[in-house]
Amino acid sequence: MSRRAFATALPVAAAFFLALGSTNTRAASPADPALVLLRASLGAPKVVSYVGQLETVRFSSSRATATIVRVEHRAPSLTRRWYLAPESLYGDYTITRGIATYDFDIKNSRVTISHNPALDEQISSAGNFDRVLANYRAVLGGNDIIAGRATRSVVLINKYTGERAIRVWIDERTHLVLKKEEYHGNGAVASQMRFEGVRYTNAIPDGVFSTDPPSGYAQIAGHDFKMPSTDVGRVIQEAGFAPASPKDLPQGFSLVGGSVATTNGVKTIHLVYSDGLRTISLFENATGAAADFGALRPKTLRFENHDAEYVEDGPTTLLTWREHGVYFALVGDLLRNELVDIAKSVVP
Amino acid sequence: MSNHITTDLLVDYVHHELAPEEDALVHAHLGECAGCRREVENESALTDALRSAAAAEETDMPSLVAARVWETIRSARPSPLGRLAVLLRPAVAVPLAAALVIGAYVAVPLSHGGPAPTIDAGYYFEQHAAAQVQYPLAERGATLQPADRAALEDDSPPAQLAEQSNVGVATVDFISAVR
Ligand SMILES: [Zn+2]
Repeated sequence: MSRRAFATALPVAAAFFLALGSTNTRAASPADPALVLLRASLGAPKVVSYVGQLETVRFSSSRATATIVRVEHRAPSLTRRWYLAPESLYGDYTITRGIATYDFDIKNSRVTISHNPALDEQISSAGNFDRVLANYRAVLGGNDIIAGRATRSVVLINKYTGERAIRVWIDERTHLVLKKEEYHGNGAVASQMRFEGVRYTNAIPDGVFSTDPPSGYAQIAGHDFKMPSTDVGRVIQEAGFAPASPKDLPQGFSLVGGSVATTNGVKTIHLVYSDGLRTISLFENATGAAADFGALRPKTLRFENHDAEYVEDGPTTLLTWREHGVYFALVGDLLRNELVDIAKSVVP
Repeated sequence: MSNHITTDLLVDYVHHELAPEEDALVHAHLGECAGCRREVENESALTDALRSAAAAEETDMPSLVAARVWETIRSARPSPLGRLAVLLRPAVAVPLAAALVIGAYVAVPLSHGGPAPTIDAGYYFEQHAAAQVQYPLAERGATLQPADRAALEDDSPPAQLAEQSNVGVATVDFISAVR
């Protein structure tokens, strides 16, 4: 078990300004083959079209959850995912066109349309890649055959803890990521995805990406997600209260953005912290609105004087607690004790 | 009384995470139901495999464990189990942070002068997933649908739902308890 190194986080306002400018890349030379390969893999979906079957397993502390999806992708930005497993999703499919996602729920005959500008930001955002390089070392791994294709793997190792965080297997010819494993801070596998088969083709018919709902389908407006803003002043003003921020974050993390949304009549601020690879979300509301776990079965834990509740979605954990009338919710792909350490350092 | 035990309860039972009363109920049911016993055995076997893999401090996912997970998924019989389940949204090239049901967010209506409003736990997972897709390689964009659309609307009697729930060890997180 490796003890994660913690760094002192700056107060919210200061951190915002710093986070923006300071993705200092004292990274390896641009010609480093691991970096070249990694960078190519990020751009691959923009230029490579393919059909494949993708399998994903996500691990929570005691369970494995898996999905199998048939994927049809036409570069640069059309993707259809058709669910083969679990049974509950069989036949359902989603079509992503740029930042719009159409979610076809065939059992309930409806399609939900949502928008997320972040879908478009991922590849274009060079700053995010710089942040990865500031906090992780890319190391070239071995050669493997994945889905019948020759791949080369790249491992990203956390510069502060020395732990590997992620390993990707990149098609040597097309640079598409064909397999990926993510690891927790203690080395345990958090999730794995891999292509069972892949075929590169430019001949996917237009109809595959049609978003016209079958007759009788209800159209439902989903979410229009906002990009987290980097303008802290405006976010705080919009929230109407000063959010508390964690004093301790795992090393390499900094505040990268925030947003305010009103859900169920409750104004909630969302602060996003990242080290380029991993992301932590801190939500706060001063209305006294607790989390409703609905059909989930939250477990309880105590830290300091707080009765907290948490649930896991695969390797992602949601931890909620209340302090001084403010409700906090912390979400991240971190181990529970890591999240608790962060939570302890949030003092309103 | 033919209510079977939901997979969620069985998993918690295996992991000794149930309250004593629930634990006793499940224990009693297992005494008289071969189907649920079989599922418990499956779950225990997978857990053991995962544990021993972890104990061996393997960092790559052991291929045997992976193989068993896939095998189970592939052989899963049709069942409405997942109707109670999360929607996992794995993403490949372009991560997906799709929102599915707006209704889930407002599942607890604001009652006039009643209890304080609440925020659906799914809201937090979704907003988090949406924010993180912009990061390189961040296709952890799984979107949780806790108060799942089907679970919210499901009218089937629990017995019927649980009847076919023995899909084995490919346990789906967040399956709701018998409703
Ligand atoms: Zn039974």
